[in-house]
Amino acid sequence: MSELLSRFRYPLTWLFLALACVGAMTSQGRPGRLGPGSRAVLELTLPLQQMVTLPVEKLQALWARYVHLVGVVEENEQLRSQVARLTEENTQYREAVVSARRFDELDDLRRRLDLKMVPANVAAQDLSAWFRSIVIDQGERAGIRPGMPVMAEGGGVVGVVAGVTGEASKVLLVIDSQSRVDAYVQRSRARGSVAGGGDRACEFDYVLRDADVDVGDLLLTSGLGAVYPKGLVLGRISGIERRPYGLFQRASVEPAVNFRQLEEVFVILDQRELPPPEAFQTDDDGLWIESAP
Amino acid sequence: MNRLAKLAGLGLAAVLLQALAQAIFPAWLRPDLVLVFALAVGMRGGTGGLLLAFGSGFVVDALSGSPPGLFALLRGTACAVTRAADHALYLRAALPWALYVLGYCVFDAVALGLCHRFFLDGGSPPWTLILTRLPGTALFTALVAGFLLPVFLRVDAEAGREQGLALAGRGSQAGS
Repeated sequence: MSELLSRFRYPLTWLFLALACVGAMTSQGRPGRLGPGSRAVLELTLPLQQMVTLPVEKLQALWARYVHLVGVVEENEQLRSQVARLTEENTQYREAVVSARRFDELDDLRRRLDLKMVPANVAAQDLSAWFRSIVIDQGERAGIRPGMPVMAEGGGVVGVVAGVTGEASKVLLVIDSQSRVDAYVQRSRARGSVAGGGDRACEFDYVLRDADVDVGDLLLTSGLGAVYPKGLVLGRISGIERRPYGLFQRASVEPAVNFRQLEEVFVILDQRELPPPEAFQTDDDGLWIESAP
Repeated sequence: MNRLAKLAGLGLAAVLLQALAQAIFPAWLRPDLVLVFALAVGMRGGTGGLLLAFGSGFVVDALSGSPPGLFALLRGTACAVTRAADHALYLRAALPWALYVLGYCVFDAVALGLCHRFFLDGGSPPWTLILTRLPGTALFTALVAGFLLPVFLRVDAEAGREQGLALAGRGSQAGS
């Protein structure tokens, strides 16, 4: 028996570890506290990663800010005209808000500004080419918990805290292909769902065919779901795909956040509670229904 | 210094260099150095190498947005497949090794998509992303792997010499 085990030690070891990996993958549910192994890896390698990547990032910043200034004047002019246009647009929006008596939105905004936030620096980028996450330099000690939403300076949605250690947190970006956020168009209130495209863009889908959606429309979080509060900016519609068939139309979204240049983020210390799994059950057709309290 | 510890050091270097590559290269041209490491330790043959490959994948899992266990499974499998392939193919020269890595990158991307499809809840596999990034990353990974092979063989041989067992020139007799 021991000879047999010794002979097949390699395939048995692979099988055992592979099954453990599959078990870990399939048991993955909502964001949670990282396991002790992952915590140790993150805490041990983060300073090393920072040490290795920091000089490169500084050099890149130096190059971009002081040497590679081709097109800056032109860009500056473009930005000036954009600021003028946006200022005018903003005034119109304010007027529209007042005239439409959307006091609830203003109240929402006020309450949003009251939300407690923790600023954090981006410490590391995702190590794989297929997923999009970042590691930030604040963790449990700053009050951060898994499932908390993360936003950028301008109010754009960055993502959700997927795991925490004492001093760091892993944030799954909204552009990751595993991400999906319920959203609505600010102008027309058309509803849909924003899914991460895995790259720099997202997709706004499950939007009814006859819903009023146009290029340039601003997308906000709807507040439904368990992560994001209502009214955070997801991005702008950059293209629309209307097929001659089907119930829905689909649009591409330019995220409000430039993830390549993201340096500082804010974690909203507001962990919304999901109902426990027991609160849901399936009906005879296998559809999820909410059970009576 | 223990042979496995030296190889583990090489694995850590691969992880750090990959982090550096993330900062330098565009997304479609990032070499997967941890995959190269996992494939290289596959040539050693033993369960120690297999554990290192799984471990390297575990580190990537911890440092990326991937679901826990995904990269551990992929890197462990890469190691095991290389061990099997090493018996049938000659991989200990730069060109065949680079071609093998190129082919394996494609297999690895397909395996990633399939794992996404079969083991993960919600979300369809990121096939578009895989298809757009695969050519660049696979070619660059293969190129880098070709250059790194002598480094790996040397480190392994030096470490093995201390224990009277070197990988280079050992052919495919890798035992445990």
